[in-house]
Amino acid sequence: MNPIREIWQSIVRRDPLSTDKGKSELVFLNVWLHIHPAKVKKEHLRFRHTYYLGFITFFLFMILLTTGIALMCYYRPDPPHAYQDMKDLEFVVFMGSFLRAMHRWAAHGMVICVFLHMCRVFYTGSYKKPRQFNWVVGVLLLLLTLGLSFTGYLLPWDQLAYWAITVGTNIGSYAPLVGGQVRELLLGGHSVGEAALLRFYVLHVAVFPSLLILLTIVHFWRVRKDGGLSRPVWKLAPMKVEQLVTIGAPAEIVPLKTGAASQDKTYGLMEVVTGKPIFETVTPEEEENAVFSYPYAFFREAIALMATVTGIMAISLLYHAPLEELANPARTPNPAKAPWYFLGLQELVSHSALLGGVVAPALMVIVLLAIPYFDRNPSRRPSDRKWALWLFSIFVVANLALIVIGTFFRGPGWAFVPPWVHVISGAE
Amino acid sequence: MGRRLPQIFFALSTLALVLILAAVWQAGSPSWKTYQRNFLQLEAQGEPNAVTKAAVLATPPEIHQVMLTGLQRVDRCTTCHLGVDDPTMKNAPEPFRYHAGLGPHTPSKFGCTICHGGQGLATEKNAAHGNVSFWQTPLLSADYIRASCGRCHKEGDVPGVPELTEGRRLFETQGCRGCHKLNGVGGSIGPDLTEEGASRRSPEWLEHHFLAPNVVSAGSAMPNFHFTREQARALTYYMLSLTNEDMGSYYSSVRLIPSPQYGRQLFVEKNCIVCHAVGGVGAKSGPDLLGVSKRHSPEWLDEQLVNPEFVYPGSSMPEYDLETNARKALIAFMDEATPQDAQEILSGRGHTLTPDEAAIEAGKRNFARFGCAGCHGTELEGGLPNPNAQGGQVPSLLHVADDYTQSEIVEVIRNGRAPPLQNASGPTPPLYMPSWKHLLSDEDIHQLVTFLWSKQQKSKESW
Repeated sequence: MNPIREIWQSIVRRDPLSTDKGKSELVFLNVWLHIHPAKVKKEHLRFRHTYYLGFITFFLFMILLTTGIALMCYYRPDPPHAYQDMKDLEFVVFMGSFLRAMHRWAAHGMVICVFLHMCRVFYTGSYKKPRQFNWVVGVLLLLLTLGLSFTGYLLPWDQLAYWAITVGTNIGSYAPLVGGQVRELLLGGHSVGEAALLRFYVLHVAVFPSLLILLTIVHFWRVRKDGGLSRPVWKLAPMKVEQLVTIGAPAEIVPLKTGAASQDKTYGLMEVVTGKPIFETVTPEEEENAVFSYPYAFFREAIALMATVTGIMAISLLYHAPLEELANPARTPNPAKAPWYFLGLQELVSHSALLGGVVAPALMVIVLLAIPYFDRNPSRRPSDRKWALWLFSIFVVANLALIVIGTFFRGPGWAFVPPWVHVISGAE
Repeated sequence: MGRRLPQIFFALSTLALVLILAAVWQAGSPSWKTYQRNFLQLEAQGEPNAVTKAAVLATPPEIHQVMLTGLQRVDRCTTCHLGVDDPTMKNAPEPFRYHAGLGPHTPSKFGCTICHGGQGLATEKNAAHGNVSFWQTPLLSADYIRASCGRCHKEGDVPGVPELTEGRRLFETQGCRGCHKLNGVGGSIGPDLTEEGASRRSPEWLEHHFLAPNVVSAGSAMPNFHFTREQARALTYYMLSLTNEDMGSYYSSVRLIPSPQYGRQLFVEKNCIVCHAVGGVGAKSGPDLLGVSKRHSPEWLDEQLVNPEFVYPGSSMPEYDLETNARKALIAFMDEATPQDAQEILSGRGHTLTPDEAAIEAGKRNFARFGCAGCHGTELEGGLPNPNAQGGQVPSLLHVADDYTQSEIVEVIRNGRAPPLQNASGPTPPLYMPSWKHLLSDEDIHQLVTFLWSKQQKSKESW
């Protein structure tokens, strides 16, 4: 046998991909691809059902990890150096400015995609039984994403960073009893300074990414274990629906068939867990509806990956990451604005500190976490969930509206200034 | 289903490759490499033989930088301005021309941006010249570049830059500190000027502002002081020289030796003798300074000069905004000052002072130092326009004795006062009397009032 072939065989240990066995083994025997089923339902692959938002978010995170590690080689998290290192990336490091731009735009993209992914999951009702807990994990991932973006915001140590974090942490300090202490713990002092930069750096490059990776593993695993991607079940024949949603569902009411067969058959662990004989889990009709993950799912995922990467690269070639002047605690910009995704909160804070700084964010997180347990309606058909859809849409639109107002319609002194009116600031 | 997937994947991958190549090309062809090639060609022209010519042309492109740890900056200007220290480039076109007349300010020790402004870290023309948003100090034009001398030479005369000395003098005598803080000392009606030199305001703006504050910045409370063009230029120079940057010990001490002679000069200038005596000669309101350097460490004395209230809570000694070397010089002078020196200083003033005269003298000094002169005029004549205040202007102080008792005036100074309105429904007048009780001690205020009363024109007796 050809020795190269032999080495290759020792690595992949599967039949050629032209055979169905090879296609299955590609998934079964590969640790990275094992998270997929060997075969997927055709509906899973439809772009219009998921928009691949979960994958795009994950790929953006991969871009952030790689560019972030590269950036770490050039960055010193202390005030005199941090800003200078930004300038070095901009002007001296080969492709440094491109690297930084990719990291910046991918980070904004990830915040957007996580949010859109959440909306998709809500609108398709995919948080419902048995997927309730995975929604909770998803909300935690959203919070971690915001935390990563927020901590990363400070690292360039320019005016934008300094004042956005000052405003952002001030919003947090409105929380009763603990707000002030939490802010102090986060900043390592009463104001944003050396200690805050170091703490944000540690959170940004070590704590939050590790937590995010851990929770992402849980999130993916649960997608598989909670019955795979959700499908537009209301579009399928009702008989199949029942079978489909119960596959893999933990402790569903279907009792273990301990009838005649049990006398002469040994049951495997998987059969005990699912409550079904293993060879009955897939009906012939379903079999017709399924295709092999390779190539149908993998190619689509690869295309989503390449589209994400090329998109971010194209944006980064055209637009540099912003960098303002060196952070200056003595010179407050007017208005000082938090990062854009917190501008909705800042807008609320401008009306009422208690409402915007405490009630609204706390309520938002609690409600988001509780949605799957709150919503007792078992149906995922849109026409059965009018109230839920309306309420969620109002939540989304209100959030976006507040962010748009905070970003584009607020001028010096937080006065209402439309973006087409130019205010000359700094005239004293 | 999915027959086109491989094609799409292939197309996207190709696009990714193209984008990476574009990024590499973008990063690999910065404008400074073009300048370096042009410079090498210029250099090669002068080379007689072909081998050296080829060697010159083959010099690999690289970024040149001057690391200035003492100034906390890195200047990469010489990446393009390749001929600054090469006299043979005297007639070369910019950006390669030799920089003549630098004297001791060699680029290797001082870099470029400390004088010229601009962004030393940048390697792209517009960014490096600071003509971009978010860079506070763009290149200074030839008209104003000498103002930069004041960034290191913070005191004393700078040869060739009389504007700086004049600007400083105007600042301290025209009462600017009444409204503006500088290095923590001064009022807060106008903006803090400590970092004015790094505020991105153009020199032209500053100069116009000094000539006509209201024209340049509408609604400004700053009065028009009717400065001459030369005075406006001098003040602009001084403003441009103001930065809060730490210049490092090498740069800030190079010229100024904290000699006792300089200290003596400051002692006279700051009128220390008005409060202090040396060996019994002088005034008695402050401690005698004979042997003061034996009683206290230099650090203690330095602290006392920076922040008297910190050393002795309730001390009536005013804060003086003195540079490090000025304080060192004063301490050096105190170390060797004798009663004879004090006598000379006193006699230099004409005659010995009675306690009253000393108080008047001190009050006069306070009047200038705390900026009363800014609004009420150096001769107490008042008259600055103050729309909608009674009379439409800042009141003259030459007749206060007619309308007020001394204790009433003490109260006005202590607590401040909004001017009475001419037209009750009109806008609030921009200028008002601030409350001084946190800045001035009772002693200071007493001295001020004594000074005011000494200046009263004798109208009272005449009627």
